[in-house]
Amino acid sequence: MKPITVFASQFGDEIALKPDFIVEKDQRYYLLNSRLKQLARNDYYYAGLYLGKVKNGVFFPSFNLLKMLVDVAVNKIVIDKKAAWLFICGRDIFRTGIVKAYGSRRVGDCTLVLNEYGECLGFGRITGGLDAAEGKVVIRNILDVGDFLRREF
Amino acid sequence: MSGRDFFVNRYAQLGWRFREVESRQSIRINQSNAKQKKLPERLSGLGVQIEKIPFLEAAYWVCKSRVSAGATAEYLLGFYSIQEAAAQIPATLFTGLKGKTVLDACAAPGGKTVQLADLMVNSGALVALDVNKRRLAALSNHLERCHISNAVVYNLDARQASRLNLKFDRILLDVPCSGNFASDKEWFNRRTLIDVERNSKVQREILAEAVKCLASNGEIVYSTCSLEPEEDEMNMDWAVRNLGLNIEEVNCLGEKGLTEVFGRKLDVSVERCRRIWPGDTQGFFVCKLSKRAVAS
Repeated sequence: MKPITVFASQFGDEIALKPDFIVEKDQRYYLLNSRLKQLARNDYYYAGLYLGKVKNGVFFPSFNLLKMLVDVAVNKIVIDKKAAWLFICGRDIFRTGIVKAYGSRRVGDCTLVLNEYGECLGFGRITGGLDAAEGKVVIRNILDVGDFLRREF
Repeated sequence: MSGRDFFVNRYAQLGWRFREVESRQSIRINQSNAKQKKLPERLSGLGVQIEKIPFLEAAYWVCKSRVSAGATAEYLLGFYSIQEAAAQIPATLFTGLKGKTVLDACAAPGGKTVQLADLMVNSGALVALDVNKRRLAALSNHLERCHISNAVVYNLDARQASRLNLKFDRILLDVPCSGNFASDKEWFNRRTLIDVERNSKVQREILAEAVKCLASNGEIVYSTCSLEPEEDEMNMDWAVRNLGLNIEEVNCLGEKGLTEVFGRKLDVSVERCRRIWPGDTQGFFVCKLSKRAVAS
């Protein structure tokens, strides 16, 4: 539970999760519904809503968790179509691709990355002022949904 | 007892004249995720031309596409899945999935698991099994991509499902099968009748185990993508005679199940099964079963 709340706090707010319904197995965290909580045995491979895993002491969030954070996170940016395509291909974000920015603009802070429909494509770290020069990377890609394609190989 | 001529001759005996077919790509909208997303319009804007599949609820043929349908943001966000059209039929044959306890006994890579969860509106419990641990990674990725929250996955052989000590309201048996030539260009070179018979035996074992786990008033949907009657109608005939199962009427694409196979007469109720010869879709077989009421 703690790695999840610590991770969520990087985006500027707390996430409300029912601790009784969160289970941890092999350093992977899952959120169960009440029916699954009743019937799931301990030897499951995957259960409920996957929230993320801890590997070498670092928490790696799932896209379920990022989606849950959209409504509560303070730090988020909206990017245009072209920047969104490049972002899901694993690329960083230039200042020109940003349509709107909410919350922190401080270098080093994390921010969710949303497309024009407000859907979460991943998250990144602010590396430059959001009013930086046009050709400068301002958000470093940390995780994007293109990861689903890269995982397969 | 193998080779193209051998199998083509069998199909002719079953009443179907062999022809080469081109498989068509199809997608299924995950309605729980894609609500109010205007997905057809968004895909059209990306250069993905789609056409509604008339015999399915939320499915489209991909007619032409400038981009890979499996690499759009909409796909990665879980708004739709790429799922062969005939393979979308089995999950739709269940009645009232919402809030139920459901078993997907041979689940990986998870296309039907996600479809079941979507039809369940992420309620109740969906237990997904697969015997092959490596395939569970693909299943898990699929569940995460589509934001499924009501599934629990075990690395377990479907023939041991009763070890879970659960009774299921609905059981999907999309059993391992020999496949068909429409989805595998090398099929005729790879398969022999011995494979078919071996698969048929495993399928019967899975069926027998599923019956042990089925709640009273429960439903089983059995499906294969095999065209071989040993894995299809003959297994259903066996299930009716040996497992106390009824074959239910279904309303879906396909021809009536065969009731006479290579000179052998099967139970008349086998005609309630549906056999889909390759054409717009791959070859497929599907059937809905329920427990026969015991006379008091």
